[in-house]
Amino acid sequence: MALKPVRVSQLNSYIKRILQTDPILGNVSVIGEISNLKFHGSGHVYFSLKDENSKVSCFLPADKFAVLACELEEGLEVTASGYIYLYERGGSYSLNIRDIQVSGQGNLAAEFQKLKVKLEKEGLFDTEHKKAIPAFPRKVAVVTSETGAAVRDIVKTIKRKNSFTDILIYPVLVQGPGAAGEISAAIEDLNLHHGDVDIIIAGRGGGSMEELWAFNEEIVARSIYESEIPVISAVGHETDFTIADFVADLRAETPTAAAERAVPDTFLIRETLETINKEMKRNLKMIVEDRRKRLELLDPEAFGRDIRSRIIMDHMRLDNTAQKMGEQLRTKIRDYRHRLDIIRESLEACNPDNILEKGYSVVTDEAGVIVKDAGALRENELVSIRAFTGTAQARITITRRD
Amino acid sequence: MTEQKKNFEETLKKLEEASARLKSDNISLEDAISSYEEGIRYYRECSDILEKANQKIETLTE
Repeated sequence: MALKPVRVSQLNSYIKRILQTDPILGNVSVIGEISNLKFHGSGHVYFSLKDENSKVSCFLPADKFAVLACELEEGLEVTASGYIYLYERGGSYSLNIRDIQVSGQGNLAAEFQKLKVKLEKEGLFDTEHKKAIPAFPRKVAVVTSETGAAVRDIVKTIKRKNSFTDILIYPVLVQGPGAAGEISAAIEDLNLHHGDVDIIIAGRGGGSMEELWAFNEEIVARSIYESEIPVISAVGHETDFTIADFVADLRAETPTAAAERAVPDTFLIRETLETINKEMKRNLKMIVEDRRKRLELLDPEAFGRDIRSRIIMDHMRLDNTAQKMGEQLRTKIRDYRHRLDIIRESLEACNPDNILEKGYSVVTDEAGVIVKDAGALRENELVSIRAFTGTAQARITITRRD
Repeated sequence: MTEQKKNFEETLKKLEEASARLKSDNISLEDAISSYEEGIRYYRECSDILEKANQKIETLTE
């Protein structure tokens, strides 16, 4: 009953037609665990989905991968939706994926990511939409559970820091199916009917991701975004991040932190007021004192006193200078006299009489020139001799050269 | 109420401005005195707002 033999390509082509025209295989969602995950350089992603007994090859095109709301990782359980495709050349088929959802435990995280991406794209988180938190709120509304720890922490913190700002507690469910609706409605109601509220704190104490979930709902995010009154989010602990945190005008790490951020310290303000008051008094006093002093300087009597004392001072200075000049003159004269004495002494040392006194005599020729070379004298020449006392004339008899 | 809550921040700012004017070196005596009087008025207003504030804590009920 067999058909006549067909070629391989004919077989594959036939199977392809069967597979790709099947309505179920054209749009199928498959639950399985990711394995053999490969990110190709082209941007496409290849992996297998497997369960205990079986596996199927999967192909995730780059454009679908780019808009995926979840992170892929080895061993992650996912629901992949797409269609079955047959590669004729290799005779193998694969699941070509359109979208992937993280199933089971990871579901909330995936939803969170998806909503976060969506709202971020819409611009709900943009900083230009964030409203400034007023520095001196007259009234703060707290949207939270009436019985939770959050409301207690917030009221306690505000009262400790501030004696000025009113607190309006707006009780809502913060977990369970109705919570998101109540939170959202409360924010809208405050905007519509409580115009005297300056800041809204919306939040709750710590809890599991499921318990905090209301603050990850789109409806809450949208009310916060639409609110004309600035909203501070205050959900859980420091490590908890909710969609409400991203869209709020200010994210506080905890309800206590939200209360801290919402109200000014009125005790500190009082101190500041007192400081300014004292400072103003002191400054005015200084200014008046300064002007009084300046006025005194312009008083004619004081002016006259001032001139007289200046004249006296000038006289004293003059006397002083004259005295100094006299002293200088005297010093100079002493100095000259001393120098004169020295010169006189050295002159005296050179006086020829001193030499003659020792017994030397001076001989001069007929011309009166002192004889230094006796050998140069002529015979019978008359010379004069001058001793220490008296003079004599002599005639040369013999001359000799040394 | 709305008037008053706006006022506090503005009044405090005006007080600080008056105080700053008093600190400037070449202020005239007339300006100093009027700045001082102005400052004291703002100071009293601020103090009044703080002193008279009677913090209310209420819970909304349907």
